[in-house]
Amino acid sequence: MSSEGDKYDAALDLLRRLNPVKINSNLQNVINLEPTLAEDLLSSIDVPLKISNDPGFSNREYLCCDYNRDLDSFRSPWSNEYFPKLSDDVLMDSPFPSESLRQLEILCNDSFDVYRDLYYEGGVSSVYLWDLEDDENAEDFAGVVLFKKSNKSKNHWDSVHVVEVVSTNGNTFQYKVTTTIILQLEKDDSESQKLLRLSGNLTRQTEKTLSVDANSLEQTHIAHVTNLGVLIEDVESQMRNLLETVYFEKTRDIFHQVRNGATIEDQLNQTAHAEVIKGLQNL
Amino acid sequence: MSLNFESIVSDIISDSPAGEIKEIYNDLITIAGENAKQTILEAIEQYNIKNALPIDVNGKSVIISEYNRQGTKYFDPKTSTSFSVDHLNRTGLDIESNDVKLTTSQELIYDSLENYIKSNFPGEVAFGLYPIPEEENKIAIIIFGNKYNQGSFWTGDWKSKYVYDIEEKKLTGSIAVQVHYFEDGNVNFEACEKVDLNDVNDVVESLSQVESKFEKDLDSSFTDLNEKQFKVLRRKLPITRSKVSWGKAIGNYRLGKDAAQGK
Repeated sequence: MSSEGDKYDAALDLLRRLNPVKINSNLQNVINLEPTLAEDLLSSIDVPLKISNDPGFSNREYLCCDYNRDLDSFRSPWSNEYFPKLSDDVLMDSPFPSESLRQLEILCNDSFDVYRDLYYEGGVSSVYLWDLEDDENAEDFAGVVLFKKSNKSKNHWDSVHVVEVVSTNGNTFQYKVTTTIILQLEKDDSESQKLLRLSGNLTRQTEKTLSVDANSLEQTHIAHVTNLGVLIEDVESQMRNLLETVYFEKTRDIFHQVRNGATIEDQLNQTAHAEVIKGLQNL
Repeated sequence: MSLNFESIVSDIISDSPAGEIKEIYNDLITIAGENAKQTILEAIEQYNIKNALPIDVNGKSVIISEYNRQGTKYFDPKTSTSFSVDHLNRTGLDIESNDVKLTTSQELIYDSLENYIKSNFPGEVAFGLYPIPEEENKIAIIIFGNKYNQGSFWTGDWKSKYVYDIEEKKLTGSIAVQVHYFEDGNVNFEACEKVDLNDVNDVVESLSQVESKFEKDLDSSFTDLNEKQFKVLRRKLPITRSKVSWGKAIGNYRLGKDAAQGK
């Protein structure tokens, strides 16, 4: 019998090999094969974000993932309430950020909403923060910064930045960011019965120690948002370049290593070209 | 094993990249246990036939498909041999001689296909030409090209599959390609197209034109997806062409925008 750890590793390997377009059903299939993996897989595998509306905040859209979920409900960053509504009994144990952290969460949502507008020109953003359990330092926290932009029916970009902010000494904090971007682009020409699809996800981790100089809680919050903002803006820029390289150059290169009708013709052209140059140089 | 278990395994296998089936087999055994072995192997057999994959028969790649199946064995009309298959390792076993042969005109098409393939598929490539039983006017042509480099985290496949009706001069079939890149992620590129041509006199010339056009079209589709679709999902930089000034003043962007919109 394989150990739980072996099974988990095998499940991760399997999920990075199967078609990422079907990540939800693949994930469900693996969980059905081994239900004990459910919790670990649901918290570590990023799937495209779902959009909900917050009836407590003029139906404003917000993003749903495992980090703001309780049972089948999701907490909105706008009204700080779970929808569909949970019963009072359930709510007693539902996760909410502490009062001070909620203030930071509101500030983060405001700031990243401006960022979203500038870079995505549409789409939805949400930030969720939570206090680190069993952590002695009350200043430490973790969270997730989410963006989703779709156009047409099937093209979409989903960013998931999981952050952990831990005080190192005095006024410096270590920021750890694990970023996954899920990107799908499709050209579906049903008339000529053609389909072209690029889909999948890339993950990168970043770590930085930054200072937080502040004399008040408000200043501390602003320093955290600034540090997180600069970090995430950098990571997203790098990831956008990486996605462009992998999606449009890498996969095309690999395709041409499988089929390349141009090679021989090109080589002939190049030889001819070289001869022309040589001829010109001899003039 | 329950019926549900079988359908899950077959779902997973049918979704696998062709060059990674052994890794997926090992993962499934680790997750589901040795008891699942038979179910997984049966799903792989179905997968190999459905996807017309090449089998190593004494050093020669022979494509297996519904067109060259004889009972539990497969045959190669080019060499007039039959063989059974180890589906996990994709190798031929129990190789025997067989009486299915290509006709002289089929041999000519075969040779011309071989020439075409040599100059257009720089990776591994296998192809097959099969008479279709009970339909004397028709032949099936299958091309499977691939390049696998799991050490660099990628695999790529090409498959084209046609039926040529010599009498009606019709060529029908499909082209499908898949590229899988999985270093620190899982990126999949797939493209497919149906082929339906009339007045085909020289089958190899026609399919070569279709396949070259498919390749060229892909290149321009990539450019189009990058320059149009990708760009509208997320900008490289904000319209101001500078990075965001974070901090307390970030709200000014909104004020600026509202002012510009006359709010």
